[in-house]
Amino acid sequence: MFITLGIVTISALIIYFEMPQLMKTGETKTIWTFSILLFIGTALSIMKGLNVTIPNPLDLITILFKPFADLLKTVLKY
Amino acid sequence: MEKQVISARQFTIITLLSSMGTTIIIIPSSLAEIVKQDAWIAAILGVAISLLLIKLYITVGNIIPSLSFVEVNEKVLGKFIGKTISLAFIIFAYLSVGELLYFIGKFMQTEVMPETPTVAFSILFMLIIMFATYLGLEVFARSAEILFPVFLLLFVIFVIFISPDINIQNIQPLFEATTGSFIYGILLFISAFAFPSVVLLMIFPSGINVIKSAQKGFYIGTLFGGLILIILITLSILVLGATNTSLRTFPSYALAQKISIGNFLQRIEIIMTFMWITTIYIRLFIYFYATVKGLGQLLNIKDHRPLILPLGMIAVALSLIVHPNIVHSDIFNKEIWLPYSSIFAVFLPLLLLLIAKIRKISGKEVNIKKQPKTLLSEKDS
Repeated sequence: MFITLGIVTISALIIYFEMPQLMKTGETKTIWTFSILLFIGTALSIMKGLNVTIPNPLDLITILFKPFADLLKTVLKY
Repeated sequence: MEKQVISARQFTIITLLSSMGTTIIIIPSSLAEIVKQDAWIAAILGVAISLLLIKLYITVGNIIPSLSFVEVNEKVLGKFIGKTISLAFIIFAYLSVGELLYFIGKFMQTEVMPETPTVAFSILFMLIIMFATYLGLEVFARSAEILFPVFLLLFVIFVIFISPDINIQNIQPLFEATTGSFIYGILLFISAFAFPSVVLLMIFPSGINVIKSAQKGFYIGTLFGGLILIILITLSILVLGATNTSLRTFPSYALAQKISIGNFLQRIEIIMTFMWITTIYIRLFIYFYATVKGLGQLLNIKDHRPLILPLGMIAVALSLIVHPNIVHSDIFNKEIWLPYSSIFAVFLPLLLLLIAKIRKISGKEVNIKKQPKTLLSEKDS
């Protein structure tokens, strides 16, 4: 509970410091990118704080590149 | 936002320190596991081959010197394919940010402060990196310049103090490893040492004032970074022995613990830790800067600074996700990292060179056409 509260506070602080400047330049694309990234960051941190299992991106890479790694192993016989 | 430019000397120092980055911590143990006491020979050959790779990166950088790697991708490969590959490249750099944060947290937790959770170190370290990225490349380059002499001094002290413990029998017999394991050892060394230098292409030709001497600096930085690594690997084999080195998670730290001058000057390993924290800071910054700047250029955002805080927040979460434990990271770095990073560090530059040659995109013509434009835009901002 405290972790979630803390993370939301941090996100609110980031918005408080960045948003006025972003609004001044008025670039919609930057505002959207900033908001989406901040949302992902907050969601990930809260999920991690609540011990939700999050799929590991490196596991996907491991599945993709395992055949090459095995190939190297058989060719070089190290 | 005005363009930030660093000098060739600063770039040399950045290359030197960033090429050592995590290599200094993890490579001695995995190299010693594969080629045993011949690790130092594999390291020497690895550095020699790395110089060829650097030549490849310089040639790629010269396709269009005024643009960064992500922009070159788009220019050479076309809009759609270029953007897709750039996104994959950015994800590659970003996952490495998470990995490096994990390393620094794990290193501090296992060796220095066992009761502090790793996330505390990740957050503190990420704050520094975000601050540096916010201030920009120039400020970072100057900080690297300040840190470098301290690093060098500590390294010299380290080598002198550890030399009484050398036991020459530890590297005998020579050339015992099989050819296959030898080749794999060399590849593994290069994958940790020179492959990450591809990320330096984000700053290499476009963010440097004198490109000619920066090219020389790229070679010199890699060569001297390699030399320091060779000395370190050789020392860990000579002092700790091959088996002992391969069993440690952080052999260079174990090496520093061995320092004992006349039973009086002892336990100075935490001062030596400064060396690897510095190098990891430099490499982490390069990765993070490449991510932030690359994402900004990919989405055509003028000022990339608003993206720093959200990306930093995700990076801290990522550092807790990427590796659930040290065994996972060990297997990933020993087996998967080599084929994965070679896609971006070897095949992508070769592809870019080939297609640039077929499409006859030559750096000089574009450069001349571009120059008035860039000059104008610089005046505007």
